[in-house]
Amino acid sequence: MIIVIGAGPAGLAAAEAASRNGSEVALLDSASRMGGQYWRHRTKVSGYQSYRADTIFHKVSQAQSVTHISGANVWGAEREGDLIRINYLQGGIESSLTAERVIIATGAYDRTLPFPGWDTPGSMTPGAAQSLLKGHGVLAGKKVIVAGTGPFLLPVATGLAEGGAEIVGLIDANSPLRWSLSPLALLTNIAKFSELIYYARLIRKHRIRPQFGRAVTAFTDGVATISTINSRFEIDSRKCQLVKADVVAVGWGFVPDLSLGGILGCAQKVDSDGTVIFDVDSDQMSSQPYIWIAGEATGIGGADLSLIEGEIAGLAASGQKIEQSLLRQRAHKQRFADALRRTYPVRDGWRSWITSSTTICRCEEVTSQEIEDSVSDLGAEDSRTSKLFTRAGMGLCQGRMCSRNVSEIVSGITKCAVADAERIAASNRPIAAPISLGQLADGKNSL
Amino acid sequence: MSQAISFTFNGAQMQCEEGQSIAAVLINLEQRELRKTRFGNEPRSIFCGIGVCYDCVVVINGLSNQRSCLIEVRDGMKVESSL
Repeated sequence: MIIVIGAGPAGLAAAEAASRNGSEVALLDSASRMGGQYWRHRTKVSGYQSYRADTIFHKVSQAQSVTHISGANVWGAEREGDLIRINYLQGGIESSLTAERVIIATGAYDRTLPFPGWDTPGSMTPGAAQSLLKGHGVLAGKKVIVAGTGPFLLPVATGLAEGGAEIVGLIDANSPLRWSLSPLALLTNIAKFSELIYYARLIRKHRIRPQFGRAVTAFTDGVATISTINSRFEIDSRKCQLVKADVVAVGWGFVPDLSLGGILGCAQKVDSDGTVIFDVDSDQMSSQPYIWIAGEATGIGGADLSLIEGEIAGLAASGQKIEQSLLRQRAHKQRFADALRRTYPVRDGWRSWITSSTTICRCEEVTSQEIEDSVSDLGAEDSRTSKLFTRAGMGLCQGRMCSRNVSEIVSGITKCAVADAERIAASNRPIAAPISLGQLADGKNSL
Repeated sequence: MSQAISFTFNGAQMQCEEGQSIAAVLINLEQRELRKTRFGNEPRSIFCGIGVCYDCVVVINGLSNQRSCLIEVRDGMKVESSL
């Protein structure tokens, strides 16, 4: 049997590909419906282009050898001889499954940067606004600013506009002219133009005026400060405008979820933009035998790349032949992903937006001042030591939101670049999801 | 068709349709603040929206630290900001 963890584009493609030769597949996912974060719509939602989702949902549901286990919150994994045991909670009950082969496709979540007011109600990630709308049919707000950087801001803004929100700002810190740095990636991914035209039409229809070279640098009492920033993302305090909004949805690309592969000892590396990802071979196999990894956890590249990586992982795990053409398609999409990183960088200058009282760790309510004090007064030289003094990153989210930001704030004070080892250590956790000791102690439902 | 159900939030009776998360229902009812923080007593709401950040945690039927962005509201549920 093959266990696939995550039913987003990569996991679905993996399950579908593995089922082609009749391999038994258990597809585990924490949500009640398949689709992951990207294809999470419960009904058809206007303003999004996701033409392939229905096809793959249908194929996976029809495949006799695939069992979709929904609502399964995977919290741990362990090796037992030749088998890998996956532990999960389903409806509060602790269960587990074992298999010889595992495909990890756990996706990513929004990367966030702190700014004064980012912890007040109304400030959220673009992913949150998206999930409220596509998953629950609820508009995050009436007057919304969508900001940060990257192409994901477009579907969020147009989706909200189609849903009836007034988009009072669509703000990217980077200029789209930066695409000219990657002409080859554009030429080999012409299909992306049709997506761009689709969103451009909606932007015109709703009279949204995109702005570039700016960022939301504060949000207080329903007023957002939009500042002009330079190429290093440093604020030009003379140039700012105040815009009324009930929601600011700000995101800076994505952070892969590495928990599960980390627990199983899969080797990781630091990508060109500082993101920690898994190191996989050309078949998507990790450093650990019989564990394949596909999708955002092997490098942020979007649904197109995830689908191909998932298919390759599914074919490899089920012992089927992988056509050269599939590997070539992956190379094209990877080139596009490289271009995305080059076009939408996140520069260190964001540290100029925070003030001494800005919350950095949301869970433990640790301010920028406390982190600074841990370095200058208490002698912390890296984020791990700073965390021991301040508790930044020790709350319920286990540093998923703040650990990278804490590292970069500390590095800004010590003037030492963040070491790769520190980035990797900060991305790993012994348990993938919180589980109470009571739930662990209660009877185990083993399959 | 979705069915109309009712639940309580900090004691107040709320009506909604089933199938939505607690956070989505409350935001739709213009109840944006979901809880106050432990130390600074600051208001918090939904942030990541997909169960990663734990900012939207509430107490559901007496069970604390439940992510309101993930858990669907059920008829008769008792939701509170804190214990």
